[in-house]
Amino acid sequence: MRLIGILCALGGWALSVAGLFITSSNNGRILIACAGIAVSLYGSLGVLNGYYLERAIWKK
Amino acid sequence: MKWQQKKAGLLLAVLGLIGLWGIAAPSKAEALDASETVLSGISTPATDEIAAKGDPGAEKYGNASDIAMADAKKGLTLADIANQVGQNKVGINFTWTLICGFLVMFMQAGFALVETGLIRAKNANHTMMMNFMVYGLGLFAYWVCGFAIQMGGCAPIANLGGSFPLNSEHVVNFLGKPWALWGTKGFFLSGATYDVSVMVLFLFQMVFMDTTTTIVTGSCAERWKYSAFAVSTIFLGALIYPLFGNWAWGCGWLSQLGVNFGLGHGYADFAGSGVVHSVGGLTAMAVAMQIGPRIGKYNRDGSPNVIPGHDLTYVLLGCFILAFGWFGFNPGSTLGASGNGCLRIGSVAVNTMLAGCTGSFAALLYMWIRYGKPDASMAGNGLLAGLVAITAPSGFVNTLSAAIIGWVAGILVCLGVEYFDRVAKIDDPVGAMSVHGVNGLWGVLSVGLFADGRSNYGGSWNGVAGSVTGLFYGDAGQLVAQLVGIATLVGIIFSLSFIFNWLVDIVVGQRVSAKVELAGLDIPEMGALCYPDFQLKAADYSGGSVSGAAASSALKG
Repeated sequence: MRLIGILCALGGWALSVAGLFITSSNNGRILIACAGIAVSLYGSLGVLNGYYLERAIWKK
Repeated sequence: MKWQQKKAGLLLAVLGLIGLWGIAAPSKAEALDASETVLSGISTPATDEIAAKGDPGAEKYGNASDIAMADAKKGLTLADIANQVGQNKVGINFTWTLICGFLVMFMQAGFALVETGLIRAKNANHTMMMNFMVYGLGLFAYWVCGFAIQMGGCAPIANLGGSFPLNSEHVVNFLGKPWALWGTKGFFLSGATYDVSVMVLFLFQMVFMDTTTTIVTGSCAERWKYSAFAVSTIFLGALIYPLFGNWAWGCGWLSQLGVNFGLGHGYADFAGSGVVHSVGGLTAMAVAMQIGPRIGKYNRDGSPNVIPGHDLTYVLLGCFILAFGWFGFNPGSTLGASGNGCLRIGSVAVNTMLAGCTGSFAALLYMWIRYGKPDASMAGNGLLAGLVAITAPSGFVNTLSAAIIGWVAGILVCLGVEYFDRVAKIDDPVGAMSVHGVNGLWGVLSVGLFADGRSNYGGSWNGVAGSVTGLFYGDAGQLVAQLVGIATLVGIIFSLSFIFNWLVDIVVGQRVSAKVELAGLDIPEMGALCYPDFQLKAADYSGGSVSGAAASSALKG
């Protein structure tokens, strides 16, 4: 699960950078970069944090 | 009438003299041969007179005799004066940068006070010692390799006289573009980097790195094993911070997005909302996530409890020290006070001051309206949030934008604290993830929105001619560059921090035992109490202080 979260975070960055090659339009690049940031945040705050929340000390 | 004739005659005579001087004077080409142009007849005050009477009016010291001559036999030349002017410029910039660096170094005291004030007394020694030792551990790691990775291949810095020895960057070509990844010169500050200009740059950059490492100690306070802290700090100072520092400030690939992709002036981060604060805030998030919340922070149903700090005086005094130090952080990032648009330091300082004030004001109002009390610790965090947010745009925006950026930061920090506490359930005793992480990213974004295109630091920024201009002033490309910077922070930097601290957890173990945590970390981890003469007693959190009451109602919703 942790590896998936890390891959997701890294994938978001890769998407943002790929946007620079996919389109030359600034509007398109802004949209793709925002999507990349959202994917990265999902990987870190969603997947990774979710993993730790499932095993949280206060649930024991 | 006679008077007028005389006046006209006098005027003609003066004009004639000027004309004659123009014919007799050396041509422009000759005048440029400054080394040969001897300046004679300059009278200087007699030294015996100064020796006998002193110079109480400061009228005699500082004259032509203070200018070093290349050849004393020849006398003072224009070249001597030109060299002296150049050295004065570099001297002014060295002095400015060093003094600003000293101010930033003093921010460590502010961070130590804020963090220690916001945690419980039983952990005060441990938290103070983490803040104390980030200086030593971070500096060592940065001297060994961090500085070389970050600045080893940076372009010559004109304000500091060139910094020419820092000229080696590792670059790979990928998809037809050069990607500058890290510097390769300056390890141990040895070889050619034993250079006065490089030393000034090292000191200034080192104290910035130190700020980053101290952010993490706040979020992980009250349950972080000291040995794990030490290893984690060294890694942050040696690799993670320098890597992003290189990409943003050391001529790395982010800074070259303008040159290589036509995105504005590339990733622009004047004083480090991204480089310093986001890197620290995101690393803090990665570690705090892994360590988990303090015992007692969350109930079995997941609802949060307030664990108030032990000294609000520390917190607010620390905030003031930090606000003072920020006048070194932002204006100092011009790396000079003379030449190349450096006089904009006035504007940078005012922007810094304004954003801090509006941030504090906004946070205070938010808490007051939402929870009925003007919460002290959140007002302090609002001040810091405004300062963090204005750090990246401080050199590129006007005062109105600075005020807006600070205001938004003040609201964001309150929302951030609520989000991490209630939704993400990542325990952050001092709110560092919201102050530095969230608002660091906001600061980076705000450059892409508010930069007004009026700044001029030597005619270009990151190798692109002209001034940094954001979306609201007509350049959408700059916003793209800033967004790619944010994606790099939340994608690459967070992941690197997470992976390394995961390894630390496996090898060293990140968290102290429950027994140690309940007893307080001072004796088990540090061997001494911070307050040995006081009997420590847990307080009732429900309404003992204004801060406790407001925070309590905030967290209970």
